[in-house]
Amino acid sequence: MKERDFRAKWEAEKAIYDAWGAYVLETVKAALVAGEYDLDCFLKIPAKYRLKNIDSLVDKAFYRPDKKYTDPYKEIEDKVGVRFVVLLLNDINIVQKIIEHNTSLWNFENCRHFAEDREKHPLLFTYQSVHYILRPAKDIAVGAITIPSSIPCEVQIRTLLQHAHAELTHDHIYKSKKTVKPVVQRTVAKSMALIETTDDFFSEAMKKLNDGPVQEYGIVERLDGLYFSGTDIKSHNQKFAVVLLDAFEDLIDDQLIEKIQLFLVEYDIIYGVIKEKYKEHIVYQQSVVFFLYWLIRNKQCRLLKDWPFSMEILDLLASDIGVSLRNW
Amino acid sequence: MHLLNFTIDKIIIHQIYRKDDEGNRVPPTQSNSYTKFDSAAMNEFKTRVRDALGVKSSAVKMEVFNNDDSGLPVLVDNMIDQDEDTFAVSSYDIAQKLTEAQNSKSMPGGIVVIFSGRDGIEKKKFLGIIKAEIHSAYQKMVNPKTKEISLKFVKEVLLTPGTRLYKTAAFFENPEYDKSSADLKDKWTVMVSDHQMSSTSWKAAAHYFYSDFLGCGYPESSARTTKLFYDSAKSFITDLEISQVEKNDLYNALNIHLKVKKSGTISLSGFAEEYFEEKYHDDFTGYMEGAGLPATDFVKDTAYVEKELKQRRVKFTSNVRVVGPTDAFNDLVKIEEIKSDPDQPETSETWTKIIIKDRISKQE
Repeated sequence: MKERDFRAKWEAEKAIYDAWGAYVLETVKAALVAGEYDLDCFLKIPAKYRLKNIDSLVDKAFYRPDKKYTDPYKEIEDKVGVRFVVLLLNDINIVQKIIEHNTSLWNFENCRHFAEDREKHPLLFTYQSVHYILRPAKDIAVGAITIPSSIPCEVQIRTLLQHAHAELTHDHIYKSKKTVKPVVQRTVAKSMALIETTDDFFSEAMKKLNDGPVQEYGIVERLDGLYFSGTDIKSHNQKFAVVLLDAFEDLIDDQLIEKIQLFLVEYDIIYGVIKEKYKEHIVYQQSVVFFLYWLIRNKQCRLLKDWPFSMEILDLLASDIGVSLRNW
Repeated sequence: MHLLNFTIDKIIIHQIYRKDDEGNRVPPTQSNSYTKFDSAAMNEFKTRVRDALGVKSSAVKMEVFNNDDSGLPVLVDNMIDQDEDTFAVSSYDIAQKLTEAQNSKSMPGGIVVIFSGRDGIEKKKFLGIIKAEIHSAYQKMVNPKTKEISLKFVKEVLLTPGTRLYKTAAFFENPEYDKSSADLKDKWTVMVSDHQMSSTSWKAAAHYFYSDFLGCGYPESSARTTKLFYDSAKSFITDLEISQVEKNDLYNALNIHLKVKKSGTISLSGFAEEYFEEKYHDDFTGYMEGAGLPATDFVKDTAYVEKELKQRRVKFTSNVRVVGPTDAFNDLVKIEEIKSDPDQPETSETWTKIIIKDRISKQE
C-alpha cells in the first residue's frame, strides 16, 4: 500500500475507528460503575479514547527504521486507543477482568503485560504497561455506523507511576529517532526500577491497611447481603461504617455474622424499622446498623465505653429495640 | 421482650401532693387535656421509658395480685380500650389511687404521667405510669452579645435522665394468654422500675408503690431465679481464666452479695460492675442471659440457696477442705498461691498458703 492509499483509507474509515474507541471506553466505564467503583476516584486520569494523528500514523507505517510492515494499515493496531490509568497494581487486574469477561462483545488479544516482560527480561527495567487489542466479536451497529469485526482498538492499562514513566520517556526514548545515549538509558532504567519498587510498596501498604478481620471474614459484604435480603434495599455504606467496624474490630470473628443472624431471628422487627425509618437517619441506610443493634443488645458495656459518635444515634437504635442504655 | 419499636399515642399528666401537716391526703389536681410533645420531646420521653423499663434496665417483672374491681389492674384493663375522653377521665382515677397509696407524710408529691401505646410486631397495647418528683435545677443561659454563660435557677423540673427521682411501671398485654381467665396476671405482664427496690431500705419504701398502688407482687419464680443466678454465676467464675486466689475473692463476693447485701433486687450488670474487671462485663451478662436469667433486674429471694450461702468451702485435690461461715471466711481467711520451690518457679508445684486470722479452738 502506498502512502496516498493509506491516507485515503484512513480518511474513509476514521469514523468507524472513532465509534469503536468510544464504544470500548464507555463499556469499560459502565462496568466499573456497575462494580460500584467511583470513576473519579478509581481512574487517576480521566479515561479518553483517541484516534492516532494521520501524520504519526504515516510516520509509523513508512518512516520508522525499527518497523517493517508488509501491510502497515492492517498491522498497525493502535489506530484508535483507550488508556486507563489507575493507582495500584491490583486495580489493573480489575480493568483486565472487565476486558477479559466481555467476550460476547469483543475478542481480545493480550499483546503485552509487564509481568510477562519481567519474566522474560528479569534484568531489564523499561516501559511497563498492559496492552490489549480488542476487535468486535461480531459486526456492531452504533448509530448509522457499522463496526466490522476486523477493526482493532488498543487498550492500555497502567498504574499512575507507570504512566508517569511513560509520559516522560515515550516521545523522547521509546519513539526517539536518534540513538539515545547510554547514560540517559541508564537513568531512565533506574527510574523504572524505582517505580516498580514503589508500586510494590504501594500494594503492600494497601494490603496491610485492608488486612484485618473485617476483610478476612468479608463482614461488610455479608452484612450487605443480610441487609438486602431483609429489606430489599441496597446498603449505602459510608465512612461511618468503617469507623464503627474499626472501633470494635476486636469483637469481630468468624462467628460474628452467624451471631447477628441469630439475633435478627429474635429481633426480626428490625427489618421493618429500617424500611420505616430509612430517611430519618443515615445509620438506617447502612448495613452496619445490624452490627450496631447487636452491640447495643449484647456488648453494651464495651459499646458505651468506646462509642465514637454522638449518643443520639445509639438512643435512636436502642429505642427501636427497647433496650435500656443507662444501666452501666 | 417489650418496647420493640414502640409508639406512644396518649400522654396525660396530673399532679399529686404530699400529705398536709395534719396528715390528711390532698386531692390530686386533674388535667383534662392530653400532653402533645413535638418529635424531639417525644423521642426524649421514649428514651426515659426505654431506659426505665427496657431490656437491660433495672425494671423488675411483677405479677398482678389484686384482681378486685377497685384495684389498679382492673382499672388499667378497662382503660386500655377506652376512647380518648373516657381514658382522660379514668387516668385521674390512677392519680387518686396513688394519692391513696401514699400513706406517709414523708412521701413526696409530684406529677403522675399516664401514657399508652403499642409495641412489637403485633402492636400489642401497653399502659405506663410514671410518678416523677419535682426538683430544682439550673438552666444554661448564653448572653447573645457577650456569649457569656450564666445559670438560671429553675425551681420545678422533672423527668431528668437520672432515674432516682421517678418510679415507672407499665402493664404490657401478653401476646398470648388464656382469654377465658379472669386472673389479670395471665393477660398482663407488669414491669416496675423503682430505685428504692434496690436500696437497703427498700421494703417499706417500695412496697406502697408496687403493692398498695399497682396491686402487684413478686413473681413466684423469684427464688428459682435467684438460685439460677447463684449457680450460673459460680459456673462463670469457675470457667474464668484467672488465678484460684481471684476466684476465691469472687466466690466470696457472690455469697456476700446474696447473703449479706440488703438490696431487694439483683442486677446482672450491677453485679458485673461491682466485682468483675470491665473486660468481663458483657461476657458475664451474656453468659447469664444465655443460662436463662432475665435481661432485666429481678427480685432477690434466697430461699433455695440459704444453705449454700451459709458456708464457703474450698476443696483441694488431696481432699483437704477449708470450710467456714460466709462472713468469717470473707473477713478472716486469706488464700495465696505459692511455689513449692520459689527458686525454681517453672518446675516446682503450686501450693496454697492459707492464713486464718484466728487461733485453733478444737481439733479432732
